[in-house]
Amino acid sequence: MLSAAIFIPLVGALLLSLWRPDERLSRSAALGFSALPLLLLVWAWRRFDPSSPELFQLVEQLSWMPSIGAAYRVGLDGISLALGIMTAVLFMAASAFPVDTKDQAPQYYAWLLFLLGVCLGLFLALDLLLFYVFFDLTLVGMYFLIGRWGHGDPQRAALKFFLFTFLGSLTVLLAILGLYLASDPRTFDMAELIAAQPLAGSGAAGIVMFGFLFGFAVKTPLIPVHTWLPPAHVDAPAPASTILAGVMLKIGTFGMIRIPLVMMRDTAREFAWALAALATVSVVYGALVSLGQRNLKARIAYTSVAHMGLVVLGIAVAAWLPAADATRRLALSGAVVGMIAHGLITGALFLMAGVFWKRSGSYDMDSFGGLAGRAPRLTTLAVVGCFGGLGLPGLLQFIADFQVLAAAVDVVPVFAVIALLGLLLLAALFVQLLQDVFLGEPSSEAGGFADTGASETAAIGALLLAKRPSDDR
Amino acid sequence: MIWIVPALPMLAGLLLWVTVHQAESDSRRRGAAGVALLTACTSAVLAIVAAGFEAEASVRWGSFLEPSLSASGAAGMVAILVPLIAAPIPLYATYHEPNRGLGRLTGLLVAFIGAMQLLVLAEDLFTLMVGWELVSALSWGLIAHDWRDGQSAKAAAHALNVTRFGSLGLFLAAGAAFSSTGSFAYAQLGEVAGSMRTLLVAGIVLAAVTKSAQVPFSPWLYSAMAGPTPVSALLHSATMVAAGVYVLVRLHPVLAAEGWFSPVVLGIGLATFVGGGIAAALQGHIKKVLAASTSAQYGLMMVAVGAGFPAAALLHLFAHAVVKAQLFLAAGLAISTAGTAELRHMRLGRAMPAVALLSAIGAAALAGLPPFGAAWTKEQIVAAGGSYAAWLGLVVAAAGGLSALYVTRFQLMAFGRGDRPKPQSRLSVPVAALGALALATVVLSIAWIPGLEPALDAVGLSELPAGKPWELVVSIGAVILGVYAAFGLDRARRLARLGVARAGWIGDWFGIPTVAEKAVVQPWLRLAKAAATFDRVVDRGVERSAQAGRWASRVTARLGERGVDEIVEALAAAMAGLGRWAASSAELIVDRVVKTAAGATGYVARDASRIHTGMLHHNYLFVAVGTIVLTASAAVWS
Repeated sequence: MLSAAIFIPLVGALLLSLWRPDERLSRSAALGFSALPLLLLVWAWRRFDPSSPELFQLVEQLSWMPSIGAAYRVGLDGISLALGIMTAVLFMAASAFPVDTKDQAPQYYAWLLFLLGVCLGLFLALDLLLFYVFFDLTLVGMYFLIGRWGHGDPQRAALKFFLFTFLGSLTVLLAILGLYLASDPRTFDMAELIAAQPLAGSGAAGIVMFGFLFGFAVKTPLIPVHTWLPPAHVDAPAPASTILAGVMLKIGTFGMIRIPLVMMRDTAREFAWALAALATVSVVYGALVSLGQRNLKARIAYTSVAHMGLVVLGIAVAAWLPAADATRRLALSGAVVGMIAHGLITGALFLMAGVFWKRSGSYDMDSFGGLAGRAPRLTTLAVVGCFGGLGLPGLLQFIADFQVLAAAVDVVPVFAVIALLGLLLLAALFVQLLQDVFLGEPSSEAGGFADTGASETAAIGALLLAKRPSDDR
Repeated sequence: MIWIVPALPMLAGLLLWVTVHQAESDSRRRGAAGVALLTACTSAVLAIVAAGFEAEASVRWGSFLEPSLSASGAAGMVAILVPLIAAPIPLYATYHEPNRGLGRLTGLLVAFIGAMQLLVLAEDLFTLMVGWELVSALSWGLIAHDWRDGQSAKAAAHALNVTRFGSLGLFLAAGAAFSSTGSFAYAQLGEVAGSMRTLLVAGIVLAAVTKSAQVPFSPWLYSAMAGPTPVSALLHSATMVAAGVYVLVRLHPVLAAEGWFSPVVLGIGLATFVGGGIAAALQGHIKKVLAASTSAQYGLMMVAVGAGFPAAALLHLFAHAVVKAQLFLAAGLAISTAGTAELRHMRLGRAMPAVALLSAIGAAALAGLPPFGAAWTKEQIVAAGGSYAAWLGLVVAAAGGLSALYVTRFQLMAFGRGDRPKPQSRLSVPVAALGALALATVVLSIAWIPGLEPALDAVGLSELPAGKPWELVVSIGAVILGVYAAFGLDRARRLARLGVARAGWIGDWFGIPTVAEKAVVQPWLRLAKAAATFDRVVDRGVERSAQAGRWASRVTARLGERGVDEIVEALAAAMAGLGRWAASSAELIVDRVVKTAAGATGYVARDASRIHTGMLHHNYLFVAVGTIVLTASAAVWS
């Protein structure tokens, strides 16, 4: 069943690339092929038992390379279920959002579907080798989406994105191999590796841990390996930005939780302090740099660095504490909610940036102003999105902020205080964005600015209205 | 059931916003007013029921969050009074404010009451924070109501940022509570001890001081004046600003356990009471006079809390809320009649005698003149100060003269005898709203009737200080002196500036806004710009090192004539060839299957081959070397 959720979009991608229908049909097909996995995952959610003692549920297994201990294994726990559903929702919104496909609609939607399949595969994989395969394939999908349908200097941005994150994925591969070689009997099975804790007490554990953290930090991204993010976001088409921020950044933090946090508990504790420090710097630095941007999309892109820093702070706090600790669970819960919240809210904000590009070909905040009169629907969406981003109660980000910071105060109070500064900056920068772009005297640009159409409103609105799909454990 | 108390106004507010876009017709206007009034009254009635049953409720929400409400004790009483005091304000708004955006204004005002109710009834720090932040966000929308005016948007951002800074304290407090008790519930806050208790109390005090506009955060209330007058009336009476003092009262037993709590709160409160009084006395903008006065009055309540008599603070909160709402509504009518907010262009006593009289009642109460209720509650705080230390009672009583001075100045300049013609517009409903509040002020005079203690005891507010007769004499004497001084200065035509050279600077909160702008806001914005530039430098560094890597690999490739390099090169070439072959064959297949020009597919193929040629040999090199290293190290260690 889970395999169907992974392969239906892949099959859809293949069909679209061979059959090549026209623009409208391609889009409907993409919507349909991304709705099916969503339905399947919702069905899986209904069957999911949060109180079960099993580590993973709904496991499906197929022998693949038994000689090296690799197999096709998929299944889910609370975290991958939540992320999987969010992924499907985001892809539906991204497919629904109208975009200039440069007369290559089938290819564009095929790549989107391909990316959906591999992202779902990544979140549902229970085998390290399978995980890595999907991990690398996501890069390929995003590379083409940015390179072919981007604007500005898309080739350069795409290549930079690819090289940078590929470097990260190489260190992850090496770390996976290290973990594999230390296991006895050798296996890529995640559940077995969690039980075995292969590198515990070994001198190589530090190197392997560094490999994982470096690779996932590039993906997340944390300071100072974040510089691929702004050009990739600014030059990508809006739906690709949405996917990039909403889904692909989560791969980094998901990987941290999935692999080093549980498979190398002792080593994770040793690295927790450094990780928390890096995360805290990311929160403040990301927010600060974002406040310094006058490019709408760059500003949103840098808030991702801050928000993802908060998620990593939660993970670092969790890594610090023994498995049964209440604060650890609070921190993890906050981190997971933070991933979902960031995915939905930032996803919506990027689609909104796409509206600006389509209307005016510009992201310059100074050239707008007073749009509230011309575009009331867009303004409403923007107000909800920005207040969501700064952590208004009622929207998810607040729950994430609250839980992560409450847990951080318990363990690393000094970092918590510094991270709070980032929260204040986030509030300032989002409100300034609203103020400069939507309020005040209407600018000359605002004259011909059309409000959002039905499908744009629906795509953005759906993301903002989406609720937390399940209670993680 | 208790959830309806906050939920009803929030939903009704949303409904009003969506349905009433612009109140072109009188029926719509009446409808909006009716819904608003009905909502507020229903919320109050429900709160009465909830308080009567001491209702409590909580929902389990995830593993750690359990939002809970309770209507027992002070919470229930505040929840009854908040919507009652606020009720006339949306009514006034629907008949006094311009049509444009009236639905949004009324809707947000009503929703605001709901958010405040949530904050009041909260029984844990999470719920408190939800209400706290909702109030901040809604106030942003209310202050920026005239969004076409860039200044009001800016003012709204200022107010939001300052209160947001304070709410960071609540994050710390919540963390401290969870770290010691594993929960956010008020009931368990008493168990928090040691450094975590210091953090808890410090966080809550920071939040309360910013929200209640105490020194040095007071100027955000001036910014809040950019909103329409009903907004000011609501924010300054029983909501928003009240939240700070209310939380200190609500959590007083926990907070007072920390030794520094009393002196700190007392000091901040006293500084704001005196500073705000001076600022109000020299301010020329009618609403800003009242704003500075609000800070000062909440400072007075802080003094009561610091002196250990939260009940006195709460009673003054009620009395002040009624009076301040009343004065703001009067000020709004004065502004719309005079066409300016500058006090020196008003003197509307003859033009609007009824409003002047209703305002005078509020002014007398705020000045502290018996028999009004606000005067009685003020005397309780003087007594509270006196029982903390004799000097404190004396200082508070004397500083009360300052209140009398500024509020008399306000009344004389706004509604003194002038020679303006009668206003043309009929304003019966706004005046009725004003009248309702004035009536409440008069009714509150019953506070002076002796033997009221049993009634207060019933709601847990009986712990009032025993006042000394001489305090009352000094206090009333100071009030009379203040009023007399104002009349005297008026005759001497020096009321506007009181003969002070730098009145404007002092009236503008002693230049705090300028200092904050120059010392806090500007440096941060500059830092942000610098960080953005720095980030580009970091990026360039990364690119340079990538270029250096490429250059190094080229050099190595040229130098390495044999050995591993050559093998790897050959392997890479083979792989690249394979990639090209795969790409071209893919193109071929697609071409055959689909009989269209394969331009797009060629693009795919070219891109694919670029990835292959560009990356594969790196990939394999890394994998090969890495595998060797890891195998070796695993062999050594295992």
